Amino acid sequence: MIERQVIHTDILIIGGGTAGCMAAVEAREKFPQYKVAILEKAHIDRSGCLAGGMNAINAYLNKGETPESFVRYVRSDSCGLIREDLVKSMSELFEYCVKKVESWGLPILCDDKGDYVPRGRWNIKINGESLKPILSRAARSSGAKVYNWLVVTNLLTQGNRVTGAVGFSLRNGKFYVVHAKAILIATGGAAGLYRPNNTGDASHKTWYSPYNTGAGYAMGIRAGAEMTSYEMRYVAIRTKDAIAPTGTIALGAGAPQVNSKGDRFMVTRYKEIGGDGAPTPYRAHGPIQEIKEGRGPVYLDTRGITPEKVTDLKRAYLDMYPSQVLYWLANDIDPGTEPVEIQTTEPYIVGGHCQAGYWVDEGRRTTLKGLYAAGDVAGGAPFKFVSGCWAEGVLAARTMGQDLTALGEVLASEEVIAREEARAFNAFKNHEKGNRGIPPVDMEARLQKIMEQYAGGASTYYEMNDAMLEIARKKLSSLPGETQDLVADDLHQLMKAHEVIDRLDVAQVLVEHMAYRKETRWPTYHSRTDYPERDDVNWLKFVNSVRDPKSGKIEMMTRPYEQIVPGDRYKP
Amino acid sequence: MPVWVDPEKCNGCYNSRQPPCVRMCPGDLIVKDYTVNKAYLKYPEDCWDCLPCIKACPEEAIEFHLSYQLGSKGAKLIPHIHKTRDFITWEAIDNQGKEEHFKIQTKVLQIALDEQVEDGAEGLDFSI
Repeated sequence: MIERQVIHTDILIIGGGTAGCMAAVEAREKFPQYKVAILEKAHIDRSGCLAGGMNAINAYLNKGETPESFVRYVRSDSCGLIREDLVKSMSELFEYCVKKVESWGLPILCDDKGDYVPRGRWNIKINGESLKPILSRAARSSGAKVYNWLVVTNLLTQGNRVTGAVGFSLRNGKFYVVHAKAILIATGGAAGLYRPNNTGDASHKTWYSPYNTGAGYAMGIRAGAEMTSYEMRYVAIRTKDAIAPTGTIALGAGAPQVNSKGDRFMVTRYKEIGGDGAPTPYRAHGPIQEIKEGRGPVYLDTRGITPEKVTDLKRAYLDMYPSQVLYWLANDIDPGTEPVEIQTTEPYIVGGHCQAGYWVDEGRRTTLKGLYAAGDVAGGAPFKFVSGCWAEGVLAARTMGQDLTALGEVLASEEVIAREEARAFNAFKNHEKGNRGIPPVDMEARLQKIMEQYAGGASTYYEMNDAMLEIARKKLSSLPGETQDLVADDLHQLMKAHEVIDRLDVAQVLVEHMAYRKETRWPTYHSRTDYPERDDVNWLKFVNSVRDPKSGKIEMMTRPYEQIVPGDRYKP
Repeated sequence: MPVWVDPEKCNGCYNSRQPPCVRMCPGDLIVKDYTVNKAYLKYPEDCWDCLPCIKACPEEAIEFHLSYQLGSKGAKLIPHIHKTRDFITWEAIDNQGKEEHFKIQTKVLQIALDEQVEDGAEGLDFSI
């Protein structure tokens, strides 16, 4: 008999990460009369993408910049198609959020006048080793109730209304039922859909958090929420093997990208669209073409930088990504005398760097009543990084507080709850019954093989066509029926079972999005060899989807693009 | 094995039911073995190399080695958190054993040795 814990709250936040923590604080500050609960599957002090720290805020309006100049930049960087209203509204809150976190104890580099030191148009430097504990401390002291080690398995819904969520505790195995008036999904994006660069005990040496497995996307998909732009995947350009960010080297040391012949290929091949400053998709696409066409490997040319600069680089990496420094130590590499090899990662589905996620309005309401989305799980607004997620958390909190009285509480029926309980513990029950079943790691391998080989993985240079996507669709279609045979011998494995179920739901929607958009707007992120050109006549619009909660059928649709900030959409 | 708990140095944080390393891992990968009162990385293939476990350990008992797939074993990176918590001195050792120290200004928050789990749950390790 599984023990049940029932919680009633006003505002439920699923995911205690970058957006979730900020949303909790804002909700408690602006609406102290409302109860706020955060459900976090790890421990809020280090969960999510900020686990290792951060050494920069990469979305900030430095002197001379405005929300309009930000929209123009992000629009051209995203190849002309973004939700301009979402990007504008988030940029209006960058300063508010950064100043707030600074007041909580985040060290930010200032000049002697006390102004932030810019490191590029939109970047400022921080000493953010403990950025996550600083955020979590603020969330906890705001009066929000934090439930750590709680894996949320599904939303509770009644038709078009979301009424709460359910899950289980990784620590005590109880089944949790949370009833809430307003629910914020802040679970981040999805990693682990494609095969990672490394194997064995280096499998999870990935760029994005491997523990962000698309739970929030999947819950919304299953509940019938409208999703957008999954086809704008994110393929990161990172240092080889260590998978550290390259911005630190590119900006910090001014090192250009070169191929094995020393040719600055971004400048020679992509000059018209900005060379080294070309839109972000091209900064992954360019290197991949060099490798595909036999001119690899690809490097950031750090040769000749001074020993002081080398020390600066190491210090910057130690603040955010110590693996990079250890990589140089373990491979006898001195970046001053040899160039730093770079590579592309496997594709991720994220609404932070890119715009995959829930279709939301300016208040961050999703298409389901009572459900809101903020951060990497919310779509339409790329270039969020850390401060954009904060801004969305603030926006969602304010909207939820305003909507709350009208929303009221709706209680899910016992029938629905009992069904969710059975679903939550199914894999564990299979183990108890002694069923041989499918270990989660095996289903993960099957999923990743299908996506890798037929849906634009690194081994096909991220390219896809109708024939491949049709095979992906067909091979994926047999897996949902087999998830009931997943077997988990403990609670950690039960979490892994749900992670693969969630990723499977995301993968099916992803394949539909990639098949539906018949153009190539973001090379490498979404490269259609059968439609290799951008087509503004037919495809200057958003590709969205809704999965029917009963039949599971995915319906595709488009939404119009709206230009708010004047100017050429392809020029920053 | 990317992150390795040295059993010679680990004391299981005494009676803690949720020692800092177990708590700080965003992937729930570190487990306390109550039979020997020591923590260990139970799922090395899922380790992200993010390092909050290492920084949280009050005994500096956890080592960071790159997976052998990616680099040679001799090199190590060890963070020493200054008692004022305003600095981390990183001890960097290369394959030849040569040492370099980097003092990085930051703000490292204090992590308690133990923490009660919600609803009186014991924080028992269900997998043993």
